[in-house]
Amino acid sequence: MAYGLKGLVMLALAYFLFSRITNGTLFFYINNRFAWLTFLAVIGFFAVALGYLAQARLVRQMLEGGHGRRLGAPGSPDGEGRAGESSSHAHGQMAAATEDRRLGAPSSPDEEGRDHEEADHDHEYDHGHSHRLSRVGLALVLLPVVLGLLVPARPLGAGAVGNREVSVGRLSTAAAPRAGQVASPARAKNLLDWLMAFDQAQDPAAFDGQPANLLGFVYRDSRFGDDSFLLSRFVVSCCVADATPIGLVVRTPNASQLALDQWVQVSGHFQAGEFDGHPMPILVADVITPTVAPNQPYLFP
Amino acid sequence: MPTPLLLERFQTFVTIFLGIFIEAVPFLLAGSLVSGFIEVFVSREAVLRLAPRRAALAALAGASLGMVFPVCECGVVPVTRRLYRKGMPIPLGIAFLLAAPVINPVVILSTYAAFGWGPILWGRVAFTFLIAFAVGLLFRWATPQETFAATLALQPTAEPLPPRRLALGIVAGPAVDLRAGASRALVAAGDDFLDMARYLVVGSLLAAGMQTVVPQSALLAIGAGPVTSVVAMMLLAFVLSICSTVDAFVALAFVGTFTPASILAFLVFGPMVDIKSTAMFLGVFQRRKVLYLVLLPASMVLLLGVFLNLNVGL
Repeated sequence: MAYGLKGLVMLALAYFLFSRITNGTLFFYINNRFAWLTFLAVIGFFAVALGYLAQARLVRQMLEGGHGRRLGAPGSPDGEGRAGESSSHAHGQMAAATEDRRLGAPSSPDEEGRDHEEADHDHEYDHGHSHRLSRVGLALVLLPVVLGLLVPARPLGAGAVGNREVSVGRLSTAAAPRAGQVASPARAKNLLDWLMAFDQAQDPAAFDGQPANLLGFVYRDSRFGDDSFLLSRFVVSCCVADATPIGLVVRTPNASQLALDQWVQVSGHFQAGEFDGHPMPILVADVITPTVAPNQPYLFP
Repeated sequence: MPTPLLLERFQTFVTIFLGIFIEAVPFLLAGSLVSGFIEVFVSREAVLRLAPRRAALAALAGASLGMVFPVCECGVVPVTRRLYRKGMPIPLGIAFLLAAPVINPVVILSTYAAFGWGPILWGRVAFTFLIAFAVGLLFRWATPQETFAATLALQPTAEPLPPRRLALGIVAGPAVDLRAGASRALVAAGDDFLDMARYLVVGSLLAAGMQTVVPQSALLAIGAGPVTSVVAMMLLAFVLSICSTVDAFVALAFVGTFTPASILAFLVFGPMVDIKSTAMFLGVFQRRKVLYLVLLPASMVLLLGVFLNLNVGL
């Protein structure tokens, strides 16, 4: 496979990751405290791409300088190898030369066949990067880029809740927060903060009457009647592979009018109640405002 | 309404797949870069001279090597592959492959941050070390021909011009010119990355597929018994395929639900073997050996977990 092509693949990966950062969808996939790793990866891919492109230029220069001179038979290292080049380098150039020749002149079917034989022959010496697999391999490496650019980026929503253990009104199996971490009083409590507070307090009635203003998406299953829904968020500690849904039961007369997956801002107050046989604080809604998904759809413990 | 549901599922699948890929890809790239620089700046002679010959010593060295190369389970694969090409003994590489994702400063710190100083932390380190050592030792009877995948075995290691000695027994390749050397290292790193990334993609696809299709409750419902809880947590570790640098925080979530021994099983087994690393092993080893690499640690962790469940409360 030619160096130039590999360099382009690297550039595509760098571009893909970079675009996730700039268009803000990176947080649909990973916890924000790993964003710097993604950023470093962009730089790394870019550096590797530059390495490939430099190599491709070097090969082109050698070919132009060499004027059709055969670049050494397999196994016999190029006698004129310049300082700073190892045999591995020369092999790479040889493979690239084969590739270039194939691309260069339009060849008759005969010649084509012979070229393939040569390519196979060279292949043994070409660091074992199988030429036969390279197309499939390349396609696979580009698959994330293609899927990422074609399928509109969307954070996990109600559709993904059903497949996971959802923690309603408590945190027993949810992505538990780090020990000792308490929400800073300065910022408004989010869903996770409240659930942590419920866990610590034990007594569901302890929060009766306290006001809250919370953001989340609507989730419902058979356990919910017409007058309640689950205000839900995903908690992500690393990437969406470990996303765990958490939620709070919201009581409102027009719960059934809210569409599944709709993001809503709910303001109301807590009242001890019961859901699915468990006592827990329930948010009695005063105002429910439909809204758009926030830039950071997940909560990061 | 089957179509929207299917679309929904596909959307979820794509998001999880990209999540795993984006999270893992910097680590794989970092591992490839280390591998590329090893290719250029460490000679085969140095590896042969520094690596212990005797299987027990080699396995010991391999199990500890992570303290020097802090890599997670994605980064460790290209590094291992490169070192094998440079003539590293098989037991050393196996022990390194299995141990390094846990026995390295970054992961020990993150485990400490999640669980503090206690049986989970030292149990994780000690048992990972023991199991990696044991599996590495078992591979002393493996020959290179029956161990390595074709792409690797064919490899005539680029064996270069007379090496130039530097301090520390590291032997520089011919590229004294740093710029040319770095450029060659980048190309080698890129080749490594392209070779391994396809396995990462396949592994991420499988893991995302499993997560989309198999409900987590099915795994968690397997049970709370002394055997089943360990099995459930090991299966979860295998399916989730989370990076070892952060899996401690994920494990924290299960503390209330599962016994400490099964949490330990999750933390020991996951970094050694999960869906995506199994896929990546296929780029280095033959299928039968990959099977051993999955089953040997799995059975050891299972035995250990069950034993701890029955005999020690932790």
